[in-house]
Amino acid sequence: MIKIDREECIGCGECVEVCPVDALSLDSEEKAVVDEDTCTSCGLCISTCPTNAIETKIMARKGDTSQYSGVWVFGETNDGNLKEVGPQLLGKGRELASEFNDQLSAVVIGSDVKDAAAKCGNYGAEKVYMVEGEEFDQYKTLPFSFAMSQLISEFKPRVVLYGATHLGRDLAPSVAGRLGLGLTADCTGLSIKEEDGEKLLLQTRPAFGGNLIAEIVCPNTRPQMATVRPNVFSCPEETENSQPEIIEREVDLNPELFKVEILERLSGEEGEVGVEEADVVIAGGRGVGSEENFQLLEELADALDGVVGCSRPIVEDGWLSKAHQVGQSGKTVSPKLYIACGISGAIQHKVGIRDSDTIIAINKDPEAPIFDVADLSVVGDLHEVLPELLELLGGEDGS
Amino acid sequence: MADTDLARDDEFELTEEQKLLKESLLDWGERELPLTRVIEMNQEGHPYPEDIIKSLANLGVIMGPVPEEHGGSGLSWEDQAIIADQIGYIDPSIATAAGLMAVETGWGYTLNRYGNETIQEKFVKPAINGDQFVGIATTEPGGGSDVAGFESTAERDGDDWILNGEKTFISGTEEAQKMGGAFWVNVRTGPAPEDAPHKNMTSFCVPVDADGMNFQEPYRDAGRMAISTGGFIMEDVRIPDRFRLGEVDKGFYYTMEGFDNARILIGASSVGVTRRVLEEAADYIKERETFGNPLAKYEGIQFEFSDLYTRMKALRLMYQQVARMQEKRYQEAGKGERKREPKTYSSTDVARWISMIKWKAPHLAKEAADKAMHWLGAAGYADDYVFETAWKGVMSYCVGAEGGANIQKIVIGRETLGPEYVPYK
Amino acid sequence: MDFLVFIKQVPDTDEVKVDEESGTIIREGVPSILNPFDEYALNLALRLKEGMEDEVNITAMSMGPPQAKDALKKCLAIGADRGILLSDKVFGGADTWATSFTLFKGVEKMGGADLYFSGQEATDGNTAQVGPELASHLNLSSMTYVEDVLDINPKEGYLTAKKETDEGFIKLKSELPVVLSCMTPPDFEPKIPGVKEIMKAKNKPLDTWNHDDLGGTEEEYGLEGSESQVISTYPPPSKGPGEKFEGPAEEGAEKIFALLKDEGVCDD
Repeated sequence: MIKIDREECIGCGECVEVCPVDALSLDSEEKAVVDEDTCTSCGLCISTCPTNAIETKIMARKGDTSQYSGVWVFGETNDGNLKEVGPQLLGKGRELASEFNDQLSAVVIGSDVKDAAAKCGNYGAEKVYMVEGEEFDQYKTLPFSFAMSQLISEFKPRVVLYGATHLGRDLAPSVAGRLGLGLTADCTGLSIKEEDGEKLLLQTRPAFGGNLIAEIVCPNTRPQMATVRPNVFSCPEETENSQPEIIEREVDLNPELFKVEILERLSGEEGEVGVEEADVVIAGGRGVGSEENFQLLEELADALDGVVGCSRPIVEDGWLSKAHQVGQSGKTVSPKLYIACGISGAIQHKVGIRDSDTIIAINKDPEAPIFDVADLSVVGDLHEVLPELLELLGGEDGS
Repeated sequence: MADTDLARDDEFELTEEQKLLKESLLDWGERELPLTRVIEMNQEGHPYPEDIIKSLANLGVIMGPVPEEHGGSGLSWEDQAIIADQIGYIDPSIATAAGLMAVETGWGYTLNRYGNETIQEKFVKPAINGDQFVGIATTEPGGGSDVAGFESTAERDGDDWILNGEKTFISGTEEAQKMGGAFWVNVRTGPAPEDAPHKNMTSFCVPVDADGMNFQEPYRDAGRMAISTGGFIMEDVRIPDRFRLGEVDKGFYYTMEGFDNARILIGASSVGVTRRVLEEAADYIKERETFGNPLAKYEGIQFEFSDLYTRMKALRLMYQQVARMQEKRYQEAGKGERKREPKTYSSTDVARWISMIKWKAPHLAKEAADKAMHWLGAAGYADDYVFETAWKGVMSYCVGAEGGANIQKIVIGRETLGPEYVPYK
Repeated sequence: MDFLVFIKQVPDTDEVKVDEESGTIIREGVPSILNPFDEYALNLALRLKEGMEDEVNITAMSMGPPQAKDALKKCLAIGADRGILLSDKVFGGADTWATSFTLFKGVEKMGGADLYFSGQEATDGNTAQVGPELASHLNLSSMTYVEDVLDINPKEGYLTAKKETDEGFIKLKSELPVVLSCMTPPDFEPKIPGVKEIMKAKNKPLDTWNHDDLGGTEEEYGLEGSESQVISTYPPPSKGPGEKFEGPAEEGAEKIFALLKDEGVCDD
């Protein structure tokens, strides 16, 4: 939100002109006033004002919470394709919406996202708010955050969920900061808690390096927003021929909002290997023995359509890049299946894999701490067990 | 680093800067000189790696108390002792402490105090920057403990001096030859009076590449293998008078002060060695089980640990006290002056304390390593473990480097009971 | 030019241990460190400063308890020119929103900067929210997951940076000022402050600002000013050990294979 110094305001109306959401107007005394519910704190008026009478003053969006209803899921896309985390959140969003007695909606923003919008319907969204335009072709914080803020200000949802991806963890706090909202990061559980007759979103997230679980609510501000780890919730079945109501909104982006320009994609450098989002992670530790031996893990990953991860010593020894590292100082993963090969299981590593559905551990040492968290522990030499397993898997493929 | 941390309670009395010094040193050690490299260096032998000297010099820990205008860091002696403690902890073979703390810093600082501008520019500064080595050569084939009992000579020849004689058991001869630099060499500039043999002794800085300097093959020592010990023969080595340290015939006093400074730092480093040894051993005895119990549960081991730990803490306080005394002494003496009139502490007060730490600290480190080897059994005896490396390394400071144990006892006795009880004159 | 680096003192999570019986964290004796991501941000700021013709002043700012001064001291030793600690009982219990607000008030009092840095996240909370939220308060653009700044051109008022996305790295150009949330690259080696730098840090300004200095009502800060409220914490449910198999490798592999089939990870 913004604050207008009435002493300084000369009533020129420049700010009213420039405001993209019509939140500003001139009152009877010819002074600018702001509609606090509509303002998205975009800041365009600030640079326009000839007397510097306007400053940003972001305030918590407290007030009447009863106007807010509906559960929203941000449908993240890449090149127009809906990413998996969106449907996962729609699945969970459906449960929450039923309990709130709300509608479930999705938001998609991009340059060519009609298909993605329709797809959100297939996963349960009754409405899809869509902002389409060339200027949204690639993700940029300010335009996306501005579009999202505008939608939220106009439609007043109760809950907004984002995937805790790089993009989601960039967008959500930017929106939260702009609108003055509480936001909980990296949730691993969502449910409802009733307080003073009002149903609140109860957000569960690991705290203190995963050594504690914290339950968090945002009682005063709406919407209640959270980023949620991919793969924590399973993807619902896709239905065909859903007919979601598509609500398209034009977002008029002032060129001033384009403070960032994407110059190029940097190739030839290994970026993410996707351990965070993978369904299957095959991870190796010192017990793998050598850089070459990771080939075995690669083969298993290929066979199971997974990715290779590792523990910290492997990165320190330079066998794999940091992007592969799982654990507290690396990535926190939540795959359906985690196979730990030759990883002893330091607490920092165990913290990073705690949200995995199924953990299989192979280690020579019967006392390895990794076995404490494994669903299936195999005491043995991974150099013997893995080839046998690959043979079993290979045989299966061949038949 | 070990999982066990036996230094956390030391922190509370450290200044902010000392905490940061300690943290920097330990971070440096973890990156540049982990235990694996220490052990490797000791297996490979000398000369000491130049990259480590350079990188420690960049940190500013060589000759830290030298004033900033001479290229030092202007540290207090307590700061430098805390650094030496960490150096001993990082490299429990004590090679790093021997070469860079005792020799370069302890003796080098004394050079800085009494050396003229030529000595500062040619020898002190390059050593502070890690580009050269400065060493100390007092011991001769005839003996070392009897500092005044030596035979090398210098004769005046116009503006020069001509040096002749032999020096043995000198730390860093290989390093100095490789990197360049100089040795502080004591020679006779007149016959030794029978009742005062320490008179007529003068100190010079002798460049390693001076004509007539003949270095001998290094000795094959038991431990601290990364830093060399060797000797050299001086045959008509011609040295300009500006390489002379301080006044003619006053070399004995400078030498005693050099010993003082080196002994403080080797004392502090030995406490660091002890701490590393006990931490590594604690990790082991807490984990390793025999007859269904971890070793640490057995009183035979636990009580030995408690005893060593307690004595280590006592010596830590002691080196801190000694360093503070020395700092006070220097502050009261003023720049470049030899202190004669005692102020807070007399020189005998300080000498007594210094001898106490020099005697006890290396012995405790050796004892800790010895006990740890007993606790670990065969594993402790292997040379790819820290205990054997530490044990053989600190032994050099038990048998005599920077003054043997019995010499320290004589000093303590003399300075406490009175000079009339000195056993040997 | 003024660079402002936001830093946090965190418990060394590598040293954190869990009480096996109660399942709670043993905090005693866990050393406090400078958040490693922030340490990278500061190192990056320093590197940029060294490469620039203009004179650059680096300020490190932190919100925290009085002992967080230690972390700022370390920043001064690493090379920051000034430290500012925002510390007051009123600031305690802040969520990311209240934290970013407090830092924003600190920036206001300081008079702003030309470029802002923070770590991508803190290793204790891992929220990664303070940087972007702060940018919103400052009405500036934010850039997260910034691994490097490739070029900075204060005359033309822009910088280019390398940023990690879900799909790989991209090169971005941004107007100045901007708030960068910095992501430690794998080969990063933090600068170890030397003796001279540590001694020099002694004489660098290190101020503490409290609530009176920042102004505003108490309700805007700390727990009261937080929009998210932690209502309970508990140790994570321990799964309990699963099945353990000791025996020939072949049978072990069969066990795994059977489980994979049960889980539907491989075809039947």
